[in-house]
Order: sequence, then structure tokens, then C-alpha cells
Amino acid sequence: MSNSAMESHRHPRVILERWFNQTKTLLMTPQIVISGILMVVLTYLIVVPLLQMTWRTLTWGEGDRRFSRQAVTGEMTGFHWEQAVSGPTSEAFLYEPLINTMITGTLAAVFALSLGAGLAWLVTRTDMPGKGWLRPTLILPYIVPSFALALAWETLFKSPQTGGQPGLFQYLFDVAPPTWLSFGAVPIVITMSIHYFPFAFLMISGALSTVDSQLEECAELMGASRWTVLRKITFPIVGPAILGAAVLTFGKTIGTFALPYLLGRPVEYQTLATMLFSSVSLGFTALGYILSLVLIVITVIVIWISARLLGGNLRRFETIGGKGFKANLTRLGVWKWPLFGMVCFIAFIAAIFPIGLLGYQTLMMVDGNYGFDNLTLHYWLGRSNPDIARGEPGVLHNTVILGDTWNTLRLAFLASILSSLVGLIIGYIVVRGRAGLVSRTLDQISFLPFLIPGIAFAAMYLGMFAVQRGPIPALYGTFALIVLICVVNRLPYSTRTGAAAVTQIGQELEEAAELQGASWVRRFWRVILPLSTGGVVAGMLVSFIGIMRELSLIILLITPSTRVLMTVGFRYAEEDQTQLTNALVMLVTVLTLLGQALVWQLGKGRLRRLKDRQID
Amino acid sequence: MGATIEIRNLTKRYGDVLALDDLSLTVHPGEFLVLLGPSGCGKTTLLRSLSGLETPDEGEIVIDDRVLFSSERGIRVAPGLRQIGMVFQSYALWPHMKVKDNIGFGLRVQKFPQSEIEARVEKILNELSMDGLGERYPSELSGGQQQRIALARLIATKPPVFLMDEPLSNLDARLRLDMRAELKRFHYDSDATTVFVTHDQTEAMTMASQIVIMNEGRIQQTAAPLDIYRHPANLFVAEFIGMPRINLLNAELDADAGSPVARISDFIVPLAWKPPVTELVVAARPEDVTLLTAPDEKALEFRVRALLPSGPELIIQLTRGDQTVVVRETRQMDLAMDQTVWIQFDSTALNLYDRRDGTMLRPEAGLPGRTTGPETTEGLAQQPQV
Ligand SMILES: Nc1ncnc2c1ncn2[C@@H]1O[C@H](COP(=O)(O)OP(=O)(O)O)[C@@H](O)[C@H]1O
Ligand SMILES: [Mg+2]
Repeated sequence: MSNSAMESHRHPRVILERWFNQTKTLLMTPQIVISGILMVVLTYLIVVPLLQMTWRTLTWGEGDRRFSRQAVTGEMTGFHWEQAVSGPTSEAFLYEPLINTMITGTLAAVFALSLGAGLAWLVTRTDMPGKGWLRPTLILPYIVPSFALALAWETLFKSPQTGGQPGLFQYLFDVAPPTWLSFGAVPIVITMSIHYFPFAFLMISGALSTVDSQLEECAELMGASRWTVLRKITFPIVGPAILGAAVLTFGKTIGTFALPYLLGRPVEYQTLATMLFSSVSLGFTALGYILSLVLIVITVIVIWISARLLGGNLRRFETIGGKGFKANLTRLGVWKWPLFGMVCFIAFIAAIFPIGLLGYQTLMMVDGNYGFDNLTLHYWLGRSNPDIARGEPGVLHNTVILGDTWNTLRLAFLASILSSLVGLIIGYIVVRGRAGLVSRTLDQISFLPFLIPGIAFAAMYLGMFAVQRGPIPALYGTFALIVLICVVNRLPYSTRTGAAAVTQIGQELEEAAELQGASWVRRFWRVILPLSTGGVVAGMLVSFIGIMRELSLIILLITPSTRVLMTVGFRYAEEDQTQLTNALVMLVTVLTLLGQALVWQLGKGRLRRLKDRQID
Repeated sequence: MGATIEIRNLTKRYGDVLALDDLSLTVHPGEFLVLLGPSGCGKTTLLRSLSGLETPDEGEIVIDDRVLFSSERGIRVAPGLRQIGMVFQSYALWPHMKVKDNIGFGLRVQKFPQSEIEARVEKILNELSMDGLGERYPSELSGGQQQRIALARLIATKPPVFLMDEPLSNLDARLRLDMRAELKRFHYDSDATTVFVTHDQTEAMTMASQIVIMNEGRIQQTAAPLDIYRHPANLFVAEFIGMPRINLLNAELDADAGSPVARISDFIVPLAWKPPVTELVVAARPEDVTLLTAPDEKALEFRVRALLPSGPELIIQLTRGDQTVVVRETRQMDLAMDQTVWIQFDSTALNLYDRRDGTMLRPEAGLPGRTTGPETTEGLAQQPQV
């Protein structure tokens, strides 16, 4: 460039014009405006609550005068941390729950992982019969609320010794089961393992089915032993998935709330999640927040360590395997039928029996009597009778419960659609933003909720939206807040789904529309949205199911006007209205199963075709 | 109808890669300009910068006096407002829309009434002889038909500028030939200024009114197809254009003799004029070498190394010491491997290059020719045949 051009480049008038034009262009680019808005909104919904929660643990709050006369609302103090870490109650409030959480979480994760991995291998890579129905059956325990498994366990092993009616065990054998079998660490670990093994099963069978068996055969032909093949070929491919499954399962087990609450409470066995719930319910807000932070920190550390082990980034965990190759199946030979019998047994114990038992229990007029003469449909269809269940009518006759069902569906529907849509938009910006600063930041912020256990998230929002802040009204008690927290909580998943869907859409398809003068909104509406339907609808249904059986995320935020089935069931459980609790959980289970059936159906049918056409 | 495109000092970097390097170019109204160059030389980047899908780092783009891009003034007109139509290599047809909706999309964006959209789509389909395909989805069409739908979508909104990025590269060889003729006709009818990108020199030669040869983000030469073939502005262009490749022979100028000659290893080739430098590269197209089967005192003795007949012509690879020369013969010849033959260079058809910078040497004032810009091309075209 010539000298005079360089000079005119620096002329103030030119600089001003350039600045003006550039600003105008930026403001007229919708992607940029939307990215900006999303940055602000997500920061407000995720980062600010996190900071605010942290801040609250370092300051005196409203009701803190009862702990210390020096408390001045808003002033900084180390009191809460001091109390939590070294105060006289720290043992009961922090260390014991922490140890319990680590023990149950680790054991449950290990069991779930081993069971899931073994079953995954049997069902994907061997010639075992009956895979068609075994696969969906084995997934059932994860689809039903974790709550349901706890209830089933209780129904089986409770005894008057620990309070309540005799369970099936005592009814059949006429001896009370030992307390450690009814409540506490053992049942928590077992039921959590049952609830989460399908999750590991899904992840690992996904990875296993992407291992090209030709690779393995090739190595075997070259003289490698079976073990070498497993070590050198299969494991490096499946290994990351197993590690990923381990981390995710552990993350889920330590954050699980309802299950340890039901099975631990009667013997005062507390985990971080249940302690968090109790402290927030009792108004020990700062302590609850400290426990939240502890949970979050554990999750972050575990994920960070595994990321280091994998030598990659966190994203690798989310690769739940895609379409498989034509895998050659290992012949089980004489082991075929014994193994088949064993898998069937597991499917029965883990999936069919608990659900069946819960269903049966809802039909018992008097809890504890398992005879056929005690059967009734009262808890489903009965009218209000003051002698039974404090006058609560059967769930299908209870207008309040029908209202709650409507609330549940409305919540799941709204939140899953909103979350998918927002996820698609963020995914779009992340993919098309070509790793620019804005898109990377958005990507990371939307991943944050992944690290925050549901109950901690709720505690955060409780603090954030209890009062009006600037233009944002106090959302506590509104349905909107419940929708909001569900949307934000699902963002890590829906953003991934959205990004995957957008990646599938060739950039040129959108550019062609852009050159024809279509605005961004039009492009999104006419090109991106229709072409990503396949993936997004599938993701939406998964969210739908997840939200329908969500409890820990919303239990702290629910008020009588915003009740959903799960929280009503939880309240019934607290009141020991066992048949009604079970009936409600069955209702949720049936709804989720219907949703899941829809997902499978769609996966096979129309959506698959739509997807195929896109790839074409 | 067509527009004038002015590109001034365009630069685009991707990290360390200079995709466009201070590139300037003018495209005249109605021209069919072909951007030709090896893969990765910046053709797509240039096209995308023109359409606004990519933002250059520096420079200016002006179409018919309307500034579409100026880094200095901070102007960047949105792609949709540039009135530029583009055909993508992948066609980029929307798979979820019927053919008629694909074609009518731009009209719908411009809020044409529904009846007019339908009429226009119908007419375009008819012109491209694809009546009755409007209700199909793109995946239900053959490759050639998809290509035509992409063209139909291009002309529906009648933009004055067409950009095409290797639109024929996804077609099989036969269809590609047919589509070349069709595209030429299409351009003639529409009269839009067209910038067409390809890495296939035959395609460029057959279709262009002007060819721009690019390498590493820079223009190597801009000229009409035959000019480029006859007078490549530098060694890069000389080697890039022509199949089989041009013969390039390292030579020293021997000015001591009465008339200038170039000394190439153990033989000499007479030159038609005296170049200003001694370190030369002598370039001869295979068809500018005459092959003799009998000795001649002015001819050089070579040995046949390989014979490559291809129907209408015969390509012969010859060697002498460590020198290799390729000859193209259209006469019927009866040659055998390892046979001794004699060749003669047509001294008026030879191009001479400065070995140090690879630029073409021109006879007039004895100054080395510059490589880029249209002026050079005109100079080359008028090069006196001595
Ligand atoms: N989006 C991009 N990111 C990074 N480098 C790119 C990008 N697009 C093009 N390039 C680089 O710029 C150069 C020119 O690319 P391109 O214009 O596509 O070449 P052509 O179309 O001539 O094959 C290449 O070196 C290519 O690798
Ligand atoms: Mg290209």
C-alpha cells in the first residue's frame, strides 16, 4: 500500500467513519446480537447464581442473628465456613455426610459400571439370544425415577422395627430383616447401582458397537492372543467410554437426593445431598450453600482428573457411540444358556420385580398384608373416605392430582421445547462461530450446569430468585421459575444435541439462503430448524422424560400451586402414605415409559428417514 | 446488463496462511472470467469474499460504483444485499424443499406475489428443459438435474453477477462436457458478469473469455485463453497450463556467435532475438518441436524413450543425455522404442524466461516482462513475431 494511502488510513475522519460503519454492521448482524444477549442471559442464570451462592457463604444473611449476636446482615464473615469445617457440629453436618457420600457414591458407581460393562458386552458383542427385548428391559431401571427403586426396596424390606408396616420379606418369612438391610448404606448402594447401571450399559454398548470387529479379527489373524487383542485394540477404543461412564455415573450418584433420603432418613444416614436439603429446609442457608459448593467441587475435581487421564478435554465423555459396524459376535458356546439365564435374572430383579412390586403395593387396602384378599382399587379409583388414607381419594379421582399431572406434562413439555430451542441456537453459534471467543465462552457457560448437582442448583436459584433484583421480579413460587431451572439444567445436553444437529447441516445450505437475501431469522426458521428436526426432537423427548421424573432439581422450589407428580409423591412418602406414593410413582413411570416408547418408535421410523435425507 | 467488478488490494489471512495476497482485479460487464489455479491457491476465498460470505482483512470491493467492502472505511455490505448469485460446488440445494420451492426461495424472500413466483419458476424450469420436476425433492434428481436446479435458483432473482465455485466437479466426465456447453449458452442468454472457479485447465480454456491464473493468493497472469497458452507470463503459468507439460530447458545465452544461440548441455538452439540475461530457461510446447526420422544438419539427435499414443495424437518422450523433451505429433508415424530420431525447435514459437525470477523475457526493449496485470497481457499479445 502506498504512503498516501497509509496516511489517509489514519486520518481522524476516516477512523471515525470506519468505526461508525463497523459498529453499524455488527449491530445489524443478528448472530452477533443474539450471541450478546445469550451471553448476558446465561451469565445471569448460571454464573451469577454461582457467585452469589459463594458470596452468601462468606457474609451474614437475614436470619443469621440466631447463630451469633455479632451478625450484621451483608457484612463479610468467616463464621459459616469456620462452623462447617471446625465447629462442634461439623462432624454431623459436613464430615459424616461427606464420607457417606463418597462411600455410597463410589461403591454404587463401581457396581453400576461393572454390571453395565458386563451386560453391554454380552448384549452387543455375543450371540446371546433375546437381545431384542433384553435391551429395553435392562434400561428400565434408569427410566423409572430413582425414587421408585427406593420405594420398592422399602416395600420389600421395611419392618415395624424401624417404624411402619411389615414389608414383603417379613410377610413371607415371618422374621424382621436386620435394620442394616432395610435402611442405610447397604440399600442405598444396591438401589443406586440398580438405578445407574443401565446408564453405564448404554454408554459402553454404544462404544462397543463402534469397535470394528474387523480390526480385532485382523489382529487375531496376525497371531495376537485374545487377551492382547482386548488390551491393544478393544480397550483403547472402549476405554474412554468406560472412564467417561465411570465419571458420569459417579457424578450422578453423589448428587442423587430422593433415593438416599428415603432409605437413609429413618436411620439418620445422611449424604451431602440429603443434608443440603435438610439445612436449606430448616433455614440454615449458608450451611446448605457450603454443602452445595462441596458437591460441585467434588464433581469438578473428578471430571478434571479424568480429563487429564484421557489427555483430552471434557467433551470426549459425551461421545455416546454412533452407528456401529457390522460387528462379528463372539460365540458363547456352552455358556450361552447359563449366561442368558443370568441376564434374564438380572433383568427380572432390577427392572420387572421392583415395578411389579410397587404396582402390587398400590392395590393393597392395608399396608403390610400381601394376601389376595387384601386387594383393592381404592388408591386408584376410590372416592374420599375419612377412614382410609386421611380421606385422600384415589389418584385417578383426585382432581388435585389430575391438576398435578397436567402441571407435570406442561412443565416437561415447555421446558424440553424451550431447552431444545435455546440449545439449538447456542449450538448454532458454537458451531458456526468457528471457535471464536464468544462461541467458546457460550459453549463453556452452557456446560457449567453439568457440574452442578440438581439439588445444589435449586439451592442456588432459591437464593437468586427469592427476592426482586432490579428489573427481575421475585420468581420464587412461580411456575416460570420451575420451567427456567429445568431449561437451564438441561442446557449442557441440549446444546450438545443442537451443535451435533447443526454440524450435520452443510454450511453452504445456509449460505445459499443468505445470498438469496434471507434474514437470519428466516434462515434459522426455514433451513436450520427443519434440517435439524431429527436430532433435536429426539433430544427433546429425552429431556421430556428426564424432566417428568425430576425431583432433586425442583423439590426446593416447589410451592403448593406449582406441584408436580414427583413432588406430591415425595410429600406422600414423607407422610408415609405408601400406597398413594407408589401410585403416583407408578403414574410417572407409566408416563415416562410412554415417552420412551415414543423415542424408540421415532428413532426407527420417520425421524430416521428424515435424517437420512439430510445426510444425502 | 452485467456489472463491473472492481477488486482492489484484497488481502485475507487465515492464521499464517495468506489466502489472498494484495490481489487486484477488474471484471468487465458480461465477461466470463475463469479463476484457475492449483488447489489451495485462494480461488474459493476470493469468490467468498466477493459474495460477502468471507470478510477479507484488507482491500476494497466495488461493483458498479457501489462499495460492497472497504476495510479502510469499515464497510461490509451483507451478502443478501449484494445482488450476487452463487452456485456452490455441492449445489447446496435445500433437501427439505421441493424443487419449485428451492427455485422460488429468493423470490419469496423478496416478497413477490405467489402467482408470479409460480409463473417464473415454471418458466425457468421450461427454459432449462426440466418441466414437471417442480414437485420433486432434490434427492430424487440425478446429478445433472441437481446442477441445473442450482442454476435455475441462480437466475430466478436475476442477479447481475454470477459466481460459480467448481460447479461441474461433481459430475462424471461425459456429463461435464455437456454441461460446459450448456453453461456457456446459459451465460450468453443471461448476460450476467460471471466469475467461474475451476482447477481444471481444459474447462477454463473452453469456457473463459478471460482467464486469471492464481497461485498462493496472487494473480500470475490475466489474459484470454489462447494468450495464456501461447505466452505464459512466467514459469509457473507455463508449467501449469498445457497437457502434456511444456518443455523447459535450462540454457546459457551464447552471444559470442554471430546470431544468438542458447546452449543446453551439449547442444545449442538458435534464438530469434537476443535476450538481456544469460541464465535462461527455454520453453517449447510439445507441438512446437518438429520430429524427423532422418538426420538433418540443423536437427538434434535424440532417442525415443516412450511412446504414448492417444488416438488423434501421439506423445513421444525423447532423451539425450540427461535432457528430456516431449513432442506431440498429429501425423501418422511409425516409431519404435529406442529408435534414434532428430528434432528441431521452432525458434519463433520459443518463449524465454529469466532463470532467476522465472519471468518471461520480451524482445522489444530488452526489458524483462512484468508478470501481472492486464497491461502485460496486451503487451504479450502484441509481441512481434521475429
Ligand atoms: N476457513 C478457513 N480456515 C483456515 N484456512 C482456510 C480456510 N479457508 C481456506 N483456508 C486456507 O486458505 C487457502 C486458500 O483456500 P481456498 O480459497 O479454499 O483455495 P482453493 O479454493 O483455491 O482451493 C488454503 O491454504 C486453505 O487451507
Ligand atoms: Mg476451492
